Amino acid sequence: MKKLIPFLLAVFVFTACEKDADTDNLDNKFVVYTNYDKAANFKQFNTYYLPDSILIIGDKDKQEYWSDANAQKIIDTYVFNMDNRGYTRVTEREEADLGLQLSYVKNTYVYTDYGYPEWWWGYPGYWDVPYWGNWGGGWYYPYVVNYSFSTGSFLTELLNLEAAQGQNEKLPIIWSAYMSGMLSSSTEVNVELAAQAVSQAFSQSTYLTNK
Amino acid sequence: MKTMKYLPLKALAVLAIAIGFALPGKAQTLGNYYANIDWQFNFPLGNDFVKKGSGWGMNFEGGYYVTDNLSVGAFLAYHSNHKYIPRQTLQISGTESLNTDQQHTLFQMPFGVSGRYTFNREGMFQPYFSLKLGPQYGRLKTDFNAYQNSDNTWGFYVSPEIGMNIFPWVYRPGIHVAAYYSYATNKGNLMTYDVDGMSNFGLRLGVAF
Repeated sequence: MKKLIPFLLAVFVFTACEKDADTDNLDNKFVVYTNYDKAANFKQFNTYYLPDSILIIGDKDKQEYWSDANAQKIIDTYVFNMDNRGYTRVTEREEADLGLQLSYVKNTYVYTDYGYPEWWWGYPGYWDVPYWGNWGGGWYYPYVVNYSFSTGSFLTELLNLEAAQGQNEKLPIIWSAYMSGMLSSSTEVNVELAAQAVSQAFSQSTYLTNK
Repeated sequence: MKTMKYLPLKALAVLAIAIGFALPGKAQTLGNYYANIDWQFNFPLGNDFVKKGSGWGMNFEGGYYVTDNLSVGAFLAYHSNHKYIPRQTLQISGTESLNTDQQHTLFQMPFGVSGRYTFNREGMFQPYFSLKLGPQYGRLKTDFNAYQNSDNTWGFYVSPEIGMNIFPWVYRPGIHVAAYYSYATNKGNLMTYDVDGMSNFGLRLGVAF
């Protein structure tokens, strides 16, 4: 057995000879991941509420929102796509059938436990469920999510505000999108990439329509 | 006139080869041992994960002649092939979709034992055919944006090969050329790709000791 050790070490050394692919060829647009609740009937909804800010998940333990012109460009892309799918934006949360919550992962400094996919739910001030209504059981995904995460990621969660409310009821997330990529040094480029990614998320979610 | 002009060259080439085969062994410094170190160019066959040939690989082999013509030995080779996959939307489960472009890498590293039958061992040109057997470590890898996924896999490897050691000088090393086919039973899956068996065709150029 001892004689095998140098041989196995040699094998291990040679595995390091793998030639990495040239990633310069990649287009550097965002990776766009979407998932949804197959049981949801997206045609039953007519209206949606979309806050005018994007929650920033950063290194602070208090809520921070992004609402400047760049944020508005990204939010407008959601509005454009939701309207195209036949949904109407309303200004009162209580009147909405659907809620859209947008978050941007500025960094992952605050987190120590990534043991579950929806780790960002624990972020201080993360879209508190009472913001949307009386769902004492918190949010839940009716499907399995396989997110990775990194700095510069955008998270989108579409909530079914028509779900039954109560202390023991949960607020279902019926569609989610995760967009992530290497950020450039130009804010303008990053915002443009994010807007493209939002439109892509809708493009690959053809079921998300009430038409 | 053209025919006359080139005829002596052809004759010389034929003569050189004939002399090469007829020449006595010149390089006996390793006795009954032999070794080859090669650069190789590998083309994956019948594989959607990676199809493009590449020269990112090496081959190492050594052995001992148990008879005048038959040798047994050991080998280790490794190779990386790559393929760019343009941006597309992958249906990675019943409800999950992923839109990205990718760079695929297929890394293969077979090693094991070899048997070789060599002709004209005392000549300048020593053609042979051989068979290699052993395990193969393989890795399917995809790079997309800042992310990477991979799947490690092991299989059984078999590879027939034909080649030639050429010793044009008094002392070793000489030149080694070879062509091979290989098949390994490695299975793997990554994203929406399933690989069931890895076939390759390749060429080797290196030094012979």
